Amino acid sequence: MRALTIAATGMSAQQMRVETISQNLANMNTTGYNARRAEFADLHYQQLTRAGSISASDGRMLPTGVQLGLGVRPSSVTVELAQGSLSSTGGDLDIAIEGKGYFEVTLPSGASAYTRDGGLNRSPDGLIVTSDGHAVQPEITIPDDARSISINAQGEVYAYFNDQIQPQQLGQFTLAGFTNSKGLEAIGGNLFLETGASGPALVNTPGQDGIGTMRQGFLEDSSVDAVREVTELIEAQRGYELNAKVITAADQMLSATTQIR
Amino acid sequence: MDSAGYTSLTRQSGLMREMQAVANNIANISTTGFRREGLIFAEHISALEPDEASLSMAYANVRMTSNAQGALSQTGGAFDFAIEGDGFFMIETPEGETLTRNGAFTPNEAGELVTHDGFRVLDTGGAPIFIPPDAKSISVATDGTYSADGRPLGQIGLFAPEDPNDMSRRDGVRFLVPGGTLPVDDPRIVQGFTESSNVNAVTEIARMIEVQHAYELGQKFLEREDERIRAVLSTLSR
Repeated sequence: MRALTIAATGMSAQQMRVETISQNLANMNTTGYNARRAEFADLHYQQLTRAGSISASDGRMLPTGVQLGLGVRPSSVTVELAQGSLSSTGGDLDIAIEGKGYFEVTLPSGASAYTRDGGLNRSPDGLIVTSDGHAVQPEITIPDDARSISINAQGEVYAYFNDQIQPQQLGQFTLAGFTNSKGLEAIGGNLFLETGASGPALVNTPGQDGIGTMRQGFLEDSSVDAVREVTELIEAQRGYELNAKVITAADQMLSATTQIR
Repeated sequence: MDSAGYTSLTRQSGLMREMQAVANNIANISTTGFRREGLIFAEHISALEPDEASLSMAYANVRMTSNAQGALSQTGGAFDFAIEGDGFFMIETPEGETLTRNGAFTPNEAGELVTHDGFRVLDTGGAPIFIPPDAKSISVATDGTYSADGRPLGQIGLFAPEDPNDMSRRDGVRFLVPGGTLPVDDPRIVQGFTESSNVNAVTEIARMIEVQHAYELGQKFLEREDERIRAVLSTLSR
């Protein structure tokens, strides 16, 4: 009785959908978070009667045959790349990326990771770091006596000093773009790692080749749409119940079988 | 004497298969681009002795794939496409060119448009579709013409099988078409949407209940038949 196992694959698929939705809802207020979406594909087919085989009763060729599916499998959980809305924070080092680029940061291991979370801070020695303390590449140090800093759309960082009229350029941010941003590996903490599927990071200055520009004083909100998540949640729950119904029905059919003498 | 039992048995095993098809449809209720499958039963008549009535058995010998349009659900993704009306996307796989209605694609590391299983999507000429990595925006017109930043680059192909019955299902919502394909005359592709599974939950549940009850009826019949034969045996051996 395959119906039981088929319905079980359906239930685990719907469960995975609920898990993805709850992850999205939990990250409704995470800066730079993009919603994830679970995608499914059908499993292999059991060939009961091959198309084109000869019918036993009258020797005709069967046009389609009989193929029975064996259920469903998760094919991928993709990141839905969408620009989140920008909310004004007024912070000097709050930088939103308008476009598809990522900040490059250095992990303690020395490897590079990528993030869209532009809520940046200053380390004790003036280095610009993420809220987890990872240095943003290229490294830019803000002098202690800087009165204020300003960052333009191209990522150039200027510092104003009390005794100078003209601002002094401290450096310029770069952005990393990927051929397939959906192929990045999320490692938590709003960070992503480059993978074979994403392609190598293409580092560019902001504003070049469609990589995006920077907005100082803004942060990118999470792109999770609560209404959509809740409707999907209802759908997933009903889908789960439907599959459970199939299990009950298959069970009753089996119990009818065992009652024959 | 026992042919009634065998007739009922073919019905029972057919119903088991039908139940499996219903379970598979319901399991794939959230699978993008999934086509509902069903079974068609045929009568198999075998002649008995010349002066007796013929015996008819029902067995499942044909598969049916529903071509009803699934609902379009908005995703907003630049590489999510839904087909309105006829046609399938052409996918290049190791076992040959296959068709799919699942239009949730993504560019791979080389910039080629691929499915989530990593198979390349083909254009009208049967060549892979290349998405320039530095393009700001990719837009796709309803006829499948895709352009990067307003510059047309090519046309996503939509194909239909030459013989709609000659399609065999493969995992990953794909169809293998041994008989060849034809381009669709009037392609309609919608960007930012995917086509939901065309399984209707209500119909499937109704079908499931029907199958379940038919199965139980069959079991009851077998029980009666069993009792009848026992009664015959005990009467005759008395």
